[in-house]
Amino acid sequence: MRTALALLTFSFGLAAAGAGSAASPQFNYILHCQGCHLADGGATPGKIPPLIGIGKFLAVDGGREFLVRVPGVSLSIVPDAELAELMNWMLLRFSADDVPEDFEPYTAEEVGHYRQEPLVEVETVRVGLIGPYDETPE
Amino acid sequence: MDSRNWMDRRFETGARYLARLTSRRSFLTRLGTLLVGAASIPLLPMSRAAAQAADAGFREPDIDGDAGDPMNCNYWRYCSIDGFMSPCCGGSASSCPPGTEMSAVTWIGTCRNPADGNDYLISYNDCCGKSACGQCFCNNNEDDMPVYVTGRSNNINWCLAHSTTAYHSTVALVLGRADG
Repeated sequence: MRTALALLTFSFGLAAAGAGSAASPQFNYILHCQGCHLADGGATPGKIPPLIGIGKFLAVDGGREFLVRVPGVSLSIVPDAELAELMNWMLLRFSADDVPEDFEPYTAEEVGHYRQEPLVEVETVRVGLIGPYDETPE
Repeated sequence: MDSRNWMDRRFETGARYLARLTSRRSFLTRLGTLLVGAASIPLLPMSRAAAQAADAGFREPDIDGDAGDPMNCNYWRYCSIDGFMSPCCGGSASSCPPGTEMSAVTWIGTCRNPADGNDYLISYNDCCGKSACGQCFCNNNEDDMPVYVTGRSNNINWCLAHSTTAYHSTVALVLGRADG
């Protein structure tokens, strides 16, 4: 009986740990991104770039890794697997029309690799890739 | 012949006429009604929070129980607040005081609602545009991160991303359940 109880407690513990590590992309977005990037991914002109249109980066060389190396993503406290899911979710949520048809979703390993080198000169790299973003409010 | 001028005579006539038609008691009744009526207008059930939130294009979801005193630092929504509680400054837990604007850019955490035992996502928007409220400072730091994790820190003046950067007070909006 005691063993059964111990096993039960153990399995509950595992279930709880599992639930804790599997936060949905939407939950992670609200908790880790939405504070600055707003619910609709719109820009705060001069301060925070928009997420609307981020799919355009996938069409240029270096764009795929740029999206992960920007400080907000690479330095976030979201674990690799959830971050990969979050990237795929954001691309469809804010830029579905721009995502190429042959888009391969980000994987945990890939995201873990890119985020080792966070970008410092974000603006310069961005302009080199797809030009400056539109400052006019949506 | 009456030696008084026409204005005195007219007022006397008017006053006597009024006295014939009304009693002092009826005057007191009406005055009383007016005073009580005027005083009760602010008590009518207006949804100030909803009005403010509607301006910001946001509505709080329905939650099962929102127990506690929003003017008390132990109110459940304030588990990660760092600032002057908006209800002490003329606003509410979910609306900014008159004369201030709610910052859109903010920081977001989670708090457990003791009324239903669930965790909720809470948005700590700052109210901007007036000097600091100075009333009811409250600083709870559940899940708060150091400022170098900027987006997860409550030590930031979030009015910095607003058109007017003066910090006044802080609200605690419920965004939804934190079910993960």
